[in-house]
Amino acid sequence: MWRLNKVRHKAGQQGGSLEELRLKRRENERALRQARRDRQLVSKRLLLNEDEEQPDVSMDTAPGGHDIVSLLHKLQHSGTEKEAHLKALSKVLRDPAAQLTFIKHENSMHLLVGLLTGSNAQCRLQAVRCLHELSHSSHTNVAPACLPATPYLLTYLSGPSTKFTELCLYTLGNMCPDSDVVREKLLAQGIIPALASCIENQRHTLAVVEAAAFTLSQLLQARDAPEKIIPIVLKSTLPSHLLSVLTPDPQFGLAPAIECAWCLHYLICSTDDNKELLAQGALSQCSSLLVSLGGAVTEGNKEDGIELLIWPLLRCVGNILSSCPEEDLNAQLTDAHLPASLCGLVQAYLHTLPALARETVWVLNNLTAHSTEFCSALLTLNLVPGLIQLLPFSQGINTMILRILANIAHKKKVFCVQLMQLGLLSALCATLKMADQEMVIQSLDILFMMTVSSPVVAEEFVRQDGLSLLEVLQYNGAAEMRQRSTYLLEKHLLSYQQHITVDNMPDP
Amino acid sequence: MLQPEALQLRTEGRDEQQERRLSESEEGNNPFSFTPQIIRLHKDHELFEDGDIHRHMYLQDLYISEAEDKPALSVSEFACHISGCSGVFSALEEYEHHYNALHRHVCCSCRRSLPSARLLDIHIQEWHDSLFTILAQKQDMYQCLVEGCGQTFRTNKHRKDHLIRIHKYPPDFRFDKTKKERGRRETKRKEQKDAAMEVVDDVCESEGVCEVMCNSPSDEPEGGESMETHECEEKATTEDVLAAAQDTESTAPRKPQYSYRIPNTVCFGHGSVRGFRGRRGRRK
Repeated sequence: MWRLNKVRHKAGQQGGSLEELRLKRRENERALRQARRDRQLVSKRLLLNEDEEQPDVSMDTAPGGHDIVSLLHKLQHSGTEKEAHLKALSKVLRDPAAQLTFIKHENSMHLLVGLLTGSNAQCRLQAVRCLHELSHSSHTNVAPACLPATPYLLTYLSGPSTKFTELCLYTLGNMCPDSDVVREKLLAQGIIPALASCIENQRHTLAVVEAAAFTLSQLLQARDAPEKIIPIVLKSTLPSHLLSVLTPDPQFGLAPAIECAWCLHYLICSTDDNKELLAQGALSQCSSLLVSLGGAVTEGNKEDGIELLIWPLLRCVGNILSSCPEEDLNAQLTDAHLPASLCGLVQAYLHTLPALARETVWVLNNLTAHSTEFCSALLTLNLVPGLIQLLPFSQGINTMILRILANIAHKKKVFCVQLMQLGLLSALCATLKMADQEMVIQSLDILFMMTVSSPVVAEEFVRQDGLSLLEVLQYNGAAEMRQRSTYLLEKHLLSYQQHITVDNMPDP
Repeated sequence: MLQPEALQLRTEGRDEQQERRLSESEEGNNPFSFTPQIIRLHKDHELFEDGDIHRHMYLQDLYISEAEDKPALSVSEFACHISGCSGVFSALEEYEHHYNALHRHVCCSCRRSLPSARLLDIHIQEWHDSLFTILAQKQDMYQCLVEGCGQTFRTNKHRKDHLIRIHKYPPDFRFDKTKKERGRRETKRKEQKDAAMEVVDDVCESEGVCEVMCNSPSDEPEGGESMETHECEEKATTEDVLAAAQDTESTAPRKPQYSYRIPNTVCFGHGSVRGFRGRRGRRK
């Protein structure tokens, strides 16, 4: 993957500034988290030149308005050296101050667009490079200044040059988040059909597919996307093209699949009804790919960055399950290995990426909520003991696991007995002592279902000294705990006491 | 007839288990409400935060394959759920130790916590058994506290002397005090109890002891520093268990440190005689 390789390379080269890199990453991460909380999480991508290894902002010559102005002047008046000047301009435009100077300058964009659409192919390439640098600006008023170029950028998407197309795509993609006006214009200019045919026609050029899907993902994350953009996208051929990229074949490129999967995630989670996507095979496609990725991971083939693809696929499957009626579940989910793969993913990522493990158990909950078959599968495939072992882990993991176990217990009496045989009761005796109220209440809920299911279970619970746990909870501060434990004791468990003596018989 | 058919269609395919639960919930008063649910998460849900950050770090060329700061995987803590006890523990063993030390052998009548089933039995017998009081006037009823010794004595004092002389016990052994000052303390506590009582109705009256012990830090004594705390706890229990006629100089200053707010504790565990099992009418 070209992105990952570059970062690793960079880190390896500059041994001394590894700490700097770490600090920068931490700072950036903090900024990203804050941006997400503000609902303003936006990223742009910068396509580097072939000769560049890292985005180097430091310049040999001090950048400034002076440089821009003189370069523009040269461009206007020179004949044969336009390409060289454009190249120089693109380097200067890496600097944020220069970007602002450029757009303030009258006629600068007009000049650039002229070169973009001129007869000189090399100049066109350098011109689009300049636009790309501008699009990467963090100032939100730079992108709108590039609007005059967009009709041409869109036209060029169907052109033959890969590099050129890539630059056009990333430029458009970078412009999307910056303003409503930009997106409106792009939509009017037909960006959706353009992207669709781009992906369709250049299906085998991984870099182009990646770039196009990235651009689409930028559109789909917009604030107004659910109303203005997503309906159009769903009606287009884009969903099926995106899905077609998600097949694991030998030519499989991780990077384009990552972008397509994120697009699908944004599509699925923005609408409640995903029937169309279901009909196009979204659930089966995503789950099959998850299964093969999960298989690779559990075998130890953890390709770098594979979680970047696993993550959005999990979300697609998790959310789209809510649109799938129970009776269609088996038809849609043809891969019976999904439960096992999901459990494998949880184990594989529990310590390195607990958030990923958490989302995986969320998917397992959605899978087992209304499906007796998948609950049964967890039992027959012996996946339950592994889940029970995850009950110590907090921050959303153990509560979700209890949900899954409750889903199983809810379905059939015989499942409850099996759960007991797998040690769930003794695990509950521990979870009932946890500080987390939700864990205790959920444990009580499962305990209720299990004791009601069969006298064998109730007896075993009493044998494990569970009654004293419940007695403690009867006098707890939280009403939900008191009510449940009292109800359980009085209605269902007292008859199983084996040590009632005359002294402590209830008062008549 | 339509009705039975409709009923049959409705219950068709459902397990007996679900039917039984349905009928239970229709009874009313059933507090259990779990139903399986598919959880839908929107794009900005907090559960998705880490994954989004991971994605955007990659987009911004900041991805590194090995996470350098391994995110800490959290483990749930355990907490003593006895009302009034605020102990929190990081391991199950710690919780068990706490529970066994402070809550297992609790006298139902007076809420005192005793360290073993045997001492609890002796306590109940000597304090709360009127038959004992009667018999003790004529026979040697006070057992030696040392297990296996077997000797009995006519009075508390005789036993104490025996413990000191023969078994080398300290004169201020905590679990052998008289209940001379008990009455005074109990009336004081009863007043406070009425004010604080909220949940428990007809359960054995609870008094200050467990609260006193439970409000201490949860860390079990390991080093010398915490040993003191533990001792203070124990001193507090025994202080009001059997307020000493002797050793007043040691007891008096310690007592005022602790609050005697009534916890809603009850006795349980196999050691206590007057169990509450079978009592009804819990206020919900």
